[in-house]
Amino acid sequence: MKMRTTATRSWVVGLAAFALNAALLQGALAADDGKLSYFTWSGYELPEFHPAFEAAHPKAVDITVFGDDDDALSKARAGFHPDLAHPCYDKIERWKQAGLIQPMDKSRLKNWDQIFPVLQKLPGIVDADGKVWMVPWDWGNTSVLYRTDLVKNPEASWKMLFDKQYAGRIATIDAVHDTPLVAALLAGVDPFSKMTPEQLDKVGAVLRQQRPLVTTYTTDMTSVEQSLASGELVAAMTWNASATALKKQNVPVAFMKPKEGMLTWVCGMVMLKDAKHVDLAYDFINARLAPESGEKLITEYGYGSASQAAFAKVPAAKLEELQLPNDPETMLKQTVLTKPIPSNDELAKLFERVKAGG
Amino acid sequence: MSPPSVGVQGVPAANRPAPRRSRGRLFDVLLNLPGGLITSTLILFTLALLLYLSLRVNDGQLLGSAFTFANLTQAVADPLTRTVLLRSIMLSAIVTVVTVVLAYPVAYFLAFHAGKYRHGLLFMISLPFWTSYLLRVFAWKIVLAWNGVLNSTLMGLGLTDAPLAGLLNTPTAVVITLAHAYAAFAVLPLYICLHGLARNLLEAAADLGAKPHQCFFKVILPLSMPGVMAAALVVFVPTVGDYVTPALVGGPASSMIGTLIQAQFGKANDWTAGAALAVVSMLAIAVVVLATRALVNRWVLPR
Repeated sequence: MKMRTTATRSWVVGLAAFALNAALLQGALAADDGKLSYFTWSGYELPEFHPAFEAAHPKAVDITVFGDDDDALSKARAGFHPDLAHPCYDKIERWKQAGLIQPMDKSRLKNWDQIFPVLQKLPGIVDADGKVWMVPWDWGNTSVLYRTDLVKNPEASWKMLFDKQYAGRIATIDAVHDTPLVAALLAGVDPFSKMTPEQLDKVGAVLRQQRPLVTTYTTDMTSVEQSLASGELVAAMTWNASATALKKQNVPVAFMKPKEGMLTWVCGMVMLKDAKHVDLAYDFINARLAPESGEKLITEYGYGSASQAAFAKVPAAKLEELQLPNDPETMLKQTVLTKPIPSNDELAKLFERVKAGG
Repeated sequence: MSPPSVGVQGVPAANRPAPRRSRGRLFDVLLNLPGGLITSTLILFTLALLLYLSLRVNDGQLLGSAFTFANLTQAVADPLTRTVLLRSIMLSAIVTVVTVVLAYPVAYFLAFHAGKYRHGLLFMISLPFWTSYLLRVFAWKIVLAWNGVLNSTLMGLGLTDAPLAGLLNTPTAVVITLAHAYAAFAVLPLYICLHGLARNLLEAAADLGAKPHQCFFKVILPLSMPGVMAAALVVFVPTVGDYVTPALVGGPASSMIGTLIQAQFGKANDWTAGAALAVVSMLAIAVVVLATRALVNRWVLPR
């Protein structure tokens, strides 16, 4: 008899626990804690980038990070709906087409006029009727970061990342808008118009040539920086922030100006269609566009801010050191702007095939 | 670890008073309710969803539109699927063999020689599981890196002059990391199996003049094969589909089927193709497992 009562008790407890769990789970799913939710690139979550917001609404933002905005788009398509997201300009059409984002009201964007006109005028950022689809926040470059002491007589070309003599000592970025885009440039294919199957084959051939040479396809820039610092890698595709970080550590590196052109990307904030905290979202965007925030972005990471006022706060010597012109327009004269890529899906599939060895 | 206990359901029905039978059945139903709910919602439903998705046309909508077999036929016909699937199965097979071979002596020691230290040792084996899997992977990154612990030690001892480059970002690194991660999963079923062996069989073997190694190879090993199979299954099945480990320590030459599936659901944005790949890889794993089991039943198990 004793056994039966214990058993009875235990299943009652078990069932109660299950019911409680189910209830809690439901509660957690339904709960709205009144916080703004922001979905951004990893490294961009720092509160220093929105001090005014922190002051006005302490601890009122939940930040989720991603390592690649293709993955971010997939996650949003699968049902993760933050209030604001931070993809790059080349993805804006796809966010629109997926019906994920809504335009913003320019009159509520306090610092809109401080944004460089060249960025405001990018096609697709602002509609003809003045609706804002993306608030540009940052811009920067993708290029080859190499060890000046380990690479002798470097030729300023993306070809360094495809050079057999550096086999096993190269890493490249695992994102469609970086490595495959460069492969397209080297293959002589225009990545910003729809590619034909033959053109895709050409890009694939360049990518296949590179695969046996790279140690890793990654977006984990910390690991890449460490490997460059230790000398395991002699060259890698990186963004400005890695160059800035390694130079701060006195590692002998140079951020190349390839003759084919660096890539220049522009990223910004978009508002999700079903954003629940619209007022907080505008406050957040305004805080992120404040000159102090942009100044932090420039000095900490070496990226460009979208705000002219932010550049005004950074001394010219510092910009010189960061190899950053004080206007994206100057930059774009020598570089390749990462515009929307019409064949993004095909290119993504191709890239995955090559990475897997196909 | 307590010896296998006799569950409530194991109480022979004859011992219960007859009128209680219906209550007993109700009890069984209630007992199985939470597990049944979880199985049907979290496992069967998601499996059905995966199968459904693999049969849809990808037109950008969440669940696709119209039915087609094209995803599955493409996944089967594509030589890349075969290459990557074969690579995954080979890597996992190596991981499985390494893990089971290393775990067997540990389980053997625990079952026959550990004595009063048994519980303490079992606790120690479970200790790494107290930290996150990612942390353990990163620990291996630190050990295997170019300027990592292993290379520094080798150079410090004067065994090598320059760091060995082929440690991290290679299939070897994946095998080492996975074998370490799944060690405890292999030790436990082996230990339970060995612990449950009837000791009088060993005594009988010794009485009949079997030397220790004969006793091991002719009695213990064949009798513990169910444990070996269980351990192998527990290691093999999840490692085939693993994608975190190859992504972190693997490098391009060790991208596995999980990597490819994940890419379809992520960057490539082609969920139906990813689902088809997942279905194909499930079938391939099932075939390998069933074939191995049949072989073991045919050749190894005592008749």
